[in-house]
Parts: sequence; C-alpha cells; structure tokens
Amino acid sequence: MSKKKAEGTNLLYQLMSEARTYDDVIVMGRGDPDFDTPAHIVAAAKDAMVNHHADYSPPEGLLALREAIADRVKRVNNIDVDPATEVVVTNGGQEALFLMVLAVLSPGDEMIVPEPNYNTYADSLAFAGGVKVEVETYVQNDFRADPADVRAAISDKSRALLLVSPNNPAASVISPPDMREMLDIAISNDLMIIADDIYDLFVYDDFTHLSPASLPGGLERTLTLNAFSKAYSMTGWRLGWIVGPADLMARVRELKAAISGGTSIISQHAGIAALTGPQDAVEMMADAYRRRRRLVLDALDAMGMKYGLPQGGQFVFADIGFTGMDSGEVAQRILSEQHVLAYPGSAFSKDRKNYLRMTFLQPEDQLIEGLERMKVAMHNIMADR
Amino acid sequence: MASENKSEILAEHAANSALNKPALAPVARHNMDLSADGLRSPLDERIIAASSEALEAGHTHYVDVPGIAPLRAAIAESLNDATGARCEPGNIIVTAGVQESRFLTIQKIGENFESIAVPAVAHPGARKALGVRARNVIPLSVDAERGYLPPIAAISEVVAGGCRLLYLESPSRLSGAAYTADEVAAIGQALRDSGASAIWDQGLAPWVDGDCPSLAADEDRPALFTTIGEAFPGMGLASWHIGYIAAPEDQIPAMQSQKQIMAICTSTAAQYAALEASNLFVEARGLRMSQLSQLKSRLIEVAADRGLDVVTGDAKNIIALRASEAGAASLRDAGFDFAEGASFGAPAVIRLNVNAATADALQALS
Repeated sequence: MSKKKAEGTNLLYQLMSEARTYDDVIVMGRGDPDFDTPAHIVAAAKDAMVNHHADYSPPEGLLALREAIADRVKRVNNIDVDPATEVVVTNGGQEALFLMVLAVLSPGDEMIVPEPNYNTYADSLAFAGGVKVEVETYVQNDFRADPADVRAAISDKSRALLLVSPNNPAASVISPPDMREMLDIAISNDLMIIADDIYDLFVYDDFTHLSPASLPGGLERTLTLNAFSKAYSMTGWRLGWIVGPADLMARVRELKAAISGGTSIISQHAGIAALTGPQDAVEMMADAYRRRRRLVLDALDAMGMKYGLPQGGQFVFADIGFTGMDSGEVAQRILSEQHVLAYPGSAFSKDRKNYLRMTFLQPEDQLIEGLERMKVAMHNIMADR
Repeated sequence: MASENKSEILAEHAANSALNKPALAPVARHNMDLSADGLRSPLDERIIAASSEALEAGHTHYVDVPGIAPLRAAIAESLNDATGARCEPGNIIVTAGVQESRFLTIQKIGENFESIAVPAVAHPGARKALGVRARNVIPLSVDAERGYLPPIAAISEVVAGGCRLLYLESPSRLSGAAYTADEVAAIGQALRDSGASAIWDQGLAPWVDGDCPSLAADEDRPALFTTIGEAFPGMGLASWHIGYIAAPEDQIPAMQSQKQIMAICTSTAAQYAALEASNLFVEARGLRMSQLSQLKSRLIEVAADRGLDVVTGDAKNIIALRASEAGAASLRDAGFDFAEGASFGAPAVIRLNVNAATADALQALS
C-alpha cells in the first residue's frame, strides 16, 4: 500500500518532525527568529502575572494595547485608525489572517492571490469555501506581482485581492507605484483588500513598503494584519492585530469572539511593553537580518543558484530547477543527508516545485555551516543525476 | 465610492444571528459583574514562578501545535483521574481557551457529519462557533425542570431521526445541572447503538461535588466521544485563555491541522503556567469547592427567603434563577451585570456567579 504523499502545511510539519530527531540540525525552514524575546518585554509579562493576571479583556483586546497599535500603524504605516472601533487584537498573525479571510470571503467568492504565497492563505480560503485565483510571478522579475496580471484575473466573482508585502516566501516588496495601481484596480473593480504587513520592518536596500490602507480610498476597503512575532521575536506569545474600517472590524470582532473568545492577558501586556518600550532590539535584529541576508545570497551566488532578490522579509526563495527534482524530494534529501531544514516551494504553491525557501533566522556561524552542508547536498544530488 | 461588495458582506453579517450572539467574558469586569464564565481566582506564586522561568529560559518561540508534551500529559492524567477517561497525551490538544475548543470541535468534527444536534439551551459560544460557517443544526429540546438539560428521550429521538453528532453540556453552562451516572450511561447507550458521536462540554464539572459523570468514561466506544473544557479552572488562569480538547485519536489530525491554520500554537506563558497549575489543582479545587458549596447553600436559602425561583443545578460556581423582566431590570439598575438566559436560549432565566457579591444581587432582585 503506498503512503499518501504529504502536501502543503502537512509536508512542512512532516519535515519539521524529522528535523527534531537530529541533534545537529540547522533549521533554515520555519519563520521563527532565533533571538529570544527582549528582556523588558518578558519583565512586563512577569509584572502582568502579579498585577493583572485576572483582568478582563474584551474579545478585541485591551484598549491600552489597541491604542498602542493605533499609534504604531500611524507611525510606521501611516494608517489612521480609531483604537476603540478599528483595531482587533488576535492570537498571532495566523489568527489575524484566518479572521480576515473569513470576514471577507463567502463560499464561491474569488480571492486574487499573487503566487507564490504563504500556504495558510490557501488553507483559510478553503475553510471559508472561497476560490483562489492565482496570479503568477517570476524569478527573473524578483517575483514582482504585475498589476496588469491582477487586472486580467478579475471575474464577476472576484471579491478580494491579497497583498502580502514583503511577500512570504518570495520576499518581494510591492513598489509604491505598483501598490497605488493595485488600489486603483481594487477600487475600480470593487474588491476588498487583505493586506499582510507582517514583515514591514524588514525591507532592504532602497526598497520601500507602502500599506494600501494608508492611501486615499484604501482604508475603507482594506483589512491589514501585523503581529509581534517577527519584529519582537515573540512567536510563542501568539499576539497580532488587524486594523480596518469600523464597519468591517465589527464583523472581525464577532468572528474573533466566536473562534477563540479573546487573547491571553499576559501576552497583551507584553505587547504593550513591546510597542511602547525601547525599540533597540528591533533595530539590532533588523541589522542582523541584513548581514545574514548578504551572507546567504553570497553563498547562493557561489553555488550558482538563481533566486528572487529578497527585497524584504526574512528568507530567500531559490530556484533548484537545475536538479531536475521536486522541491519536496530535494528538501527531504538535504534534511536526511545533511540535517539542514529548508522548506520546499511546493508547500507554498503547487507550481513552485522547483524552489526552496531558506530563512536567515539563525546565527551567522550556523548559517555558514548550513549553507556549506547544503552545497554538499546539492553536489551529491547533481552527481547522482 | 460606496462598495457593493462591502455592503453585501455587512448584510450577510447582520443576518447571521448565531455569529452575533453575545460573547460571555471569561472573568468579571468589575466587582458587581456576576456574568463571567470563569472564576476570579488568586494566582499561586508557584505558577507565576514557573511561567516566568520558562519565559526567561527562552520558551518564547513556537511550540508544537497540539501543546507542549508535559502539559498534554498533565491534562490527560487530570481527566483520567477526574472522569475515569482513558486519555493518552496523544488524545489531547491544548487550546487558547474553551471557546477555541468549541470552535475546533464543532467545525472540524462537524465536517464529518450532515448535521449537528445542539440543545435549545446551550452556551452562546456554541452558537457563535456554529455561526462562523453554516452547519445544519438540529434543535434538541430541553427540560426546564431538569436544569435545561436535554432529556434522554430527546437525545434518542434526534439520533433515531438520523443525526449522528450531538453537542452536549454537562453540567449545563446555564444552570449547572449535570447528568447523573445512569443518565450518562443511557446517553452513551443511545449514541453507541446508532454509532453517533458527541462533543461533550464538561468545563463546569470541577465545580460539582464528588464525581461528575462524563461520557469520556464510556468503556465500550470511547472512540465516539470528544470532551472539552477549561484547563485547570479556578487557578487564576481564566484571562490567560487556556483550554483542552480530549478526542479520539482519529479526530486529532484534522483539528490539529485546523489549529495550525488559525493559531499555530497556544501561548507558551499560558502553557507553562497551566503545567504548574496541574500540580496544585487537586488541593486548590478542594479548598475552592468547600468555599463555593457553603456560599451556594447560603444563597439558595436567601433566594428561598425572598421567594426567588432557583433553577436546579449541581455546579457550585453558578446559580440560575427564573426572573421576570422587571426583576432583571431592578438587578441591572442596582449596578449588577449577569448572564442573560436569552443568550443561552432561555429568556426568563438569569445566571449569576457565586461569590461574595451574589447575596446582594439576590437582595436587589427580590
């Protein structure tokens, strides 16, 4: 009897499960920063345990945290929201993503999705009964989502446009002119926008992130997510947010109450400290990712691998088409032989079977060692062809 | 330019009465708030220490989707001891609170069935969870004289009618009434005979004196029954949002996958706190139960003295009363908040937490 081949999220979990069995594994797969949460945030959590452990929080989150979020999105993204009615706190970016999709899509509705994209969008869309309409992007254009292709994908069932910038896994950033055109398309075709800004603090070189909700006419049709996980290295705290227009946010609030009821009071107090406290750690981490990105790209160049230039984010999406093998098999072989975990592109899109996603969320010495091992694995793969 | 798409979304939302059911708070908002689902409890210093140490040790990253292994083991052991279940850690998913447990079970186990029977009187969170994605809901009639629990005959009837998944609460989240051991055995029999499954909310069971019979203890077909509840209630963790699902092994992968899709994992601070709470729970519960039992007995006397109509209930942490509109209004006017039976499906009932302020509330009500 043949074993069913794991796909999508299940494939990633299968690989992660195997990775845990190796003592010397180097993880370049999961988007979990190697840095621990900054000490002042942990201290705020401890204080909350003593002084606020039994406080009430409404499903949408503590007002103090929503105010801090409103300040943050104004300062960083130039989005104007009312913390009383236009912010909902979530159990991480993942719950935010799920809520946004459920808030906007009904069964049969189409969402236009520039590919490749974070696999959970497809999973959430499937739960909602929505239909994914893919818009291709190409490595030779650094995975730029072309507004003309988006326009061509619109049908009478289109209800939403997904804009993840910087993108996961392709690490492309939608340029300001393209973002303005995307918004024009959304307005002229009456599409809602689901915007994922989770990597907005990690943009490289001269690239610029622009939030669609910051543009005239943008906020009223856009739900924007972000989270503490990547910027503050708080993946285990499960804390994120959605901002958007009050009428749609009322729906998001009810969905949040229905799905999980609320968000841990301790994580929320930690989040207040993160947003209102010193930001040195964020800058330190951003500097580290900048250095590591260069290191990874140099190694890939030395291996002769093609990739889309990571304009933002915390990873690189590299073309392994030269191996002639499916990315799932390549990722499996690199893991089994060299104990290096990279994510197969096929987990993000069925059409990305010749890509690997590699994160730069490990210390530099680990990254160097991981890339050396990967080089050996690639050499072995090519020698076996 | 007005968006027709958005107008449609908002119109669909406005029409979704299940999703728009009021959400009950996990803890009281103020001293005269008697509406909360959970108890306002002190937090033991050892729990603070354990959670703090975990955070300082770097447990601030993603953990396994179904929860950290020692907590899953602790929850399994606690359920086995309390209910006679035979759970292994692999049967447990740690959730971000009991509402997430409701949502995951109702929606994901529900995917395998054409319909789900839900008591006419049930926690509003169950209806909210059903409102997220349309399901075919079969109403299950309840017996007001039996604390609004569905009678065995009603359960048998929906099963005979072809419904193969039931959502049941014992104790009732409105009245605290719990099925007896004989009734649980009869329910198990009725479900087994037709191969029907059940989601069994036993979150209030720790607040029943002695053992609170659970379907989880069913010896013949445990593979049919899934239980949910708050993890270690009364330990000061209500605002931390931590709950559990104990499910047959074959149900776990789909719910685990959905948990990954919608949350990845549960807060590590809460998980390590719950792990320490598991060590203190039995002793703390005993102490709390003794306080609650005394309080509730006194409240029942006060209610009788004032001619109030108390609904039968076994759980000591809540007291439900039949109250007129005027009575409820006078309670509101006196500054008290309470859970309205209407949001459960029983309009003429109110639910109050049992605590020091409840006697004053009864005074205002009378």
